Amino acid sequence: MTEKKILIIDDDQHLQLGLSARLRARGYRVTCAADAISAITVARKELPDLIILDLGLPAGDGFVVLERMRDLADLAAIPVIVLSARDPADNKKRSLDAGAVAFFQKPPDNHEFLAAIRHALGETVALSTFLKT
Amino acid sequence: MTPEASRRADAPEYSPPATPILPLCDSTLLQEKGNMQVSPALRADLLDLKAWSEILMTYGRTMRVAVALTDSQGQVLGKCHNPQPVWQLVHRAERDRGSGCPFCINTLLPCTAVADALRTGGTVMVRDQVGLTHVSVPLLLGKLRLGAIVAGQVFDRYPDSLVLRRVAKDYGVSAQQLWELAKEQRPVSSAVLQASGDLLCALGNAFLRQRYSAILETKLAETNGRFRLLVEGVMDHALFTMDSNGCVTSWNGGAERLLGYVDAAIMGQNFSCIFTREDIQNRVPERHLHKALIAGRADDEGWLVRGDRKQFWANVNITAMEENPGISRSFAIMVHDVTEQRKIAGVLEDARQERQRLEEKLLSHVSHELRTPLTAIYIFTTNLLDGVYGDLTTYQHEHLTLALENVQQLKSMVSDLLDITRVETHKLTVEPQHLSLAKLIDDVLSTCLTNAAVKNITLRSDVAPGLPFVWADPARVRQILINLIDNGIKFTPPSGSVTVASRPYVEKEGFLCLIVSDTGCGISSENCELVFERLSQVSSTTEASRSGLGLGLFISRELVSRHGGRIWVESELGRGSIFYFTLPVFSLAKLCSHVLTAPNLEAGCVTLIAVDVAQVAGAVQADILLEVRKVLERCIRPEQDVLLPSMSDAEPVKTFFIIACTDAKGFEVIASRMARELRKFDSASKLKPAISSTTLLLAPGQFGKEQIGDVAARIDQLVQSHLMGKDRLQ
Repeated sequence: MTEKKILIIDDDQHLQLGLSARLRARGYRVTCAADAISAITVARKELPDLIILDLGLPAGDGFVVLERMRDLADLAAIPVIVLSARDPADNKKRSLDAGAVAFFQKPPDNHEFLAAIRHALGETVALSTFLKT
Repeated sequence: MTPEASRRADAPEYSPPATPILPLCDSTLLQEKGNMQVSPALRADLLDLKAWSEILMTYGRTMRVAVALTDSQGQVLGKCHNPQPVWQLVHRAERDRGSGCPFCINTLLPCTAVADALRTGGTVMVRDQVGLTHVSVPLLLGKLRLGAIVAGQVFDRYPDSLVLRRVAKDYGVSAQQLWELAKEQRPVSSAVLQASGDLLCALGNAFLRQRYSAILETKLAETNGRFRLLVEGVMDHALFTMDSNGCVTSWNGGAERLLGYVDAAIMGQNFSCIFTREDIQNRVPERHLHKALIAGRADDEGWLVRGDRKQFWANVNITAMEENPGISRSFAIMVHDVTEQRKIAGVLEDARQERQRLEEKLLSHVSHELRTPLTAIYIFTTNLLDGVYGDLTTYQHEHLTLALENVQQLKSMVSDLLDITRVETHKLTVEPQHLSLAKLIDDVLSTCLTNAAVKNITLRSDVAPGLPFVWADPARVRQILINLIDNGIKFTPPSGSVTVASRPYVEKEGFLCLIVSDTGCGISSENCELVFERLSQVSSTTEASRSGLGLGLFISRELVSRHGGRIWVESELGRGSIFYFTLPVFSLAKLCSHVLTAPNLEAGCVTLIAVDVAQVAGAVQADILLEVRKVLERCIRPEQDVLLPSMSDAEPVKTFFIIACTDAKGFEVIASRMARELRKFDSASKLKPAISSTTLLLAPGQFGKEQIGDVAARIDQLVQSHLMGKDRLQ
């Protein structure tokens, strides 16, 4: 089985470092992007199995990234987990409506967060079916 | 003390004489002045010699007697009017005459004429040994003895020569000379003098009263003048009066300036002209007068219109004045322009809102910004603890665990900060749903177990079995419970215990009470209310227990009240605390009330539909079930049917229940629509729905209003047996 690829889109270098260490230890391949523009470029180049997306990004926020991904055929099917410091009261529903599979507020509970990642990677096909309906 | 003075001191209080000389009681004067206090200044004014001179002189000349005025102590004020020659002689003799009566020739014997007159309030006549007589009359103002008038120094007959000679000797004049003087004084008989004394009494007291009225009138005029000046001078308030119909009867300078009408123009006009057209249409002026008539006054704030049609925001006070009781009432109005104040208040309110907005922005910004570094710390710490970077020594592991605990604490504080801003901006909302408390409490207790174990505190659940479902937000109830339990752990010494329990809440129907009790330090009774306030951490608690922002109970209170419940604490210092909070019980009957009606049930068109979802291969995922729920929601008619919340503790829910307003035939239609929709929705993941139904039937006439609860209970029973049957099948 090939390694699953995860793309972390977050402008916080420390978070990239810590989270990618954890994910690599779990056997995933991790790439990172720090702004909205390079996020799309890297995503198209890498075609990851999962994207972990921050909402507050330089050069356009996470919602912009989500929207553009839905318009791009090669990215539309990739599940996205939003991980943001923003208030879930305002942003959770918006994220899910925009096509994210889950919303976590920073700092996330490790157990739940990793479970969601596993889940999202395991259900890639079924979930992409939902996105189309 | 002179004999006269001592006599005065001993004299009993004045009592009216048997035959009053002046009928004083016929007027209000006596009542008014019965116990009046006359100031020394007024007293001096009343007995002002200048005013009295003319009347005394006239009297003296007419009656051919000497007249003098005395004060209330009997001391002669000023000079003697129309003095008699003998009197003058005595005065010229300049002999020391003691403090006796100046009218007595023989001063060796005390004269009590004045004192007696003051004491008795009646006319007193004295005749001395030389045959000189004088009469004393009191001046009375009500019960007050203001002074006396003495008249006399006349012979009632020509004196006998022996006596004259002795007097002449006493005063060092020749008997001849004295005789010459005495001759000039025409004798007045005692009877005449007595009569003239009565006349003097009447005259004196009449004059005194006239003088009193004159003084009062002057003072009143002065006061009136001052008041008028004051009213006129008030320029920033409009003051005016109206008759009982609301027509203007007076108009001050402030009214002219503020309302823009000169008094000539407004006098006699109805005051409603200062109100706006809408107010006049709504009969506001009349209502104000009516209110003032009933309550004595009416206050209001609103727009008024000036003579030049400009409007201003005014404070209006109308007072009803009762001038002629029972006849008609007039009104006094005070109008104050508060347009500026209103503007300022508006600006202040804006500033307050702006400040609140900034505060909220700051807090939410802080809460947001704290999360980013907190996340990095959290991730690195958990990475280390989970061995991502290699194995740790026991010591390292222990200390990193402590670090992680602190991170968790910081995290909950940051969340509290955010909740606080939500409370203040009324954004703290709860999303109630059908919730199983038993499951949630178990879950919360296992979360809190680590904390309790560290402090060697026993965590107990004493929740009654078969706890009803509640209608509450699970995340928020969890937050409240964790808050209360963590608090209990924090304030309980090692080897104590924290217990979660439940009891029915009898005080309010449809509510359930949860209890979190501890064996900790307790709260003094005066602090029992305060603990729920913002940032209230009772100062006496030990340093070790002080952690957190002191916001937890405040937030808990807000959350409980948003569920419609209440929270309170019973505690005693040193004996632990018991926190109570109530939550609304989920009511199936309430949820389905619009379907469960008598006609529906009697007609047999209430059907319980169960939709079981299974997948051809593997377990159904929670998100798919969420989507299924959405599909079913679209299939029902919301005004007629109810998609029940998940009625089982098991997650994820694979059975959906619908109370539909339909009979057996209608069910076929609904079932086929649902099956079609679900197939359409899920062509790939191969869901397999099984749709079954039970019609709730009631014989006609059986149904009473109270039976909705019974029907709901039956639905609940059917649901539970369906779920259990399915469990058995699996």
